[in-house]
Amino acid sequence: MPVSYEELAIGYEFPPTSYELSPSLISKYLKAVDSAGDAFVPPLAIAARAMTGLTGVLSLPPGTIHASQDFEFYKLVPSAAVVNCQAKVVRKVSRGGMRMLVLELNVFDRSEEMVQSGKATIILPS
Amino acid sequence: MLSGVYQGETLPPVVRHITQEKINLYAEASGDFNPIHIDESFATQTPLGGTIAHGMLILAYVSEMMAQAFGQNWAANGRLSVRFKTPARPGDTVTATGKIDSIRKEDGISYVDCSLECHNQKDEVIVTGGAMVKLPYNLGETRDPR
Repeated sequence: MPVSYEELAIGYEFPPTSYELSPSLISKYLKAVDSAGDAFVPPLAIAARAMTGLTGVLSLPPGTIHASQDFEFYKLVPSAAVVNCQAKVVRKVSRGGMRMLVLELNVFDRSEEMVQSGKATIILPS
Repeated sequence: MLSGVYQGETLPPVVRHITQEKINLYAEASGDFNPIHIDESFATQTPLGGTIAHGMLILAYVSEMMAQAFGQNWAANGRLSVRFKTPARPGDTVTATGKIDSIRKEDGISYVDCSLECHNQKDEVIVTGGAMVKLPYNLGETRDPR
């Protein structure tokens, strides 16, 4: 059952998700971003999948937009790797007509080494 | 890759033309089908007045620029911090630019700090921020010899 903004509390941890960075997925991503790519998965492709993985759990209203983003990349990831994503709510602001969420994301590989971490600030329509 | 890493060096820009088709492709590749990106009839009813590109699509261009400049060091040892200022829309030409602001050398590692910006054809800033790349070696001369 998707969680709504109202139900979220600071510290809420989303159920972890796991996905394969399959060659076909990466190929589709590279085509979409007009990139030739190289032997490793683009870090933003991993981040995009990690964030989208949340949308199955988090019920965000249409029109939600991205306000800011931080990332740190720790290691190269080969195509076909399986990664695990963990995310939690680190900030929630509701003031006047503005509603904002700050989510922290961490991505690990199968050996449980951190691949990347990030923080996304999103603004929900009033 | 950059031929030399110098303070003040401008990174080779990445220029991309945004179309609704590319936005739709990105939605499919990322799984982000927020109607603000792909549903014109919905988007025109919002304060944004029309569809906009995914912020992460624009960041992919920034990441491409960093990868072209620093190779695999970017994906293995990079840090990015940005704010989205103005949405990119279908029809826009987005240019990602960057400049090396400073280089710090410590214990055989070089930390390269860059300022970043993406703007459209009207020079409106779409994304602004900074990036840091850790190079696993000590750069020699980091002042531009030219």
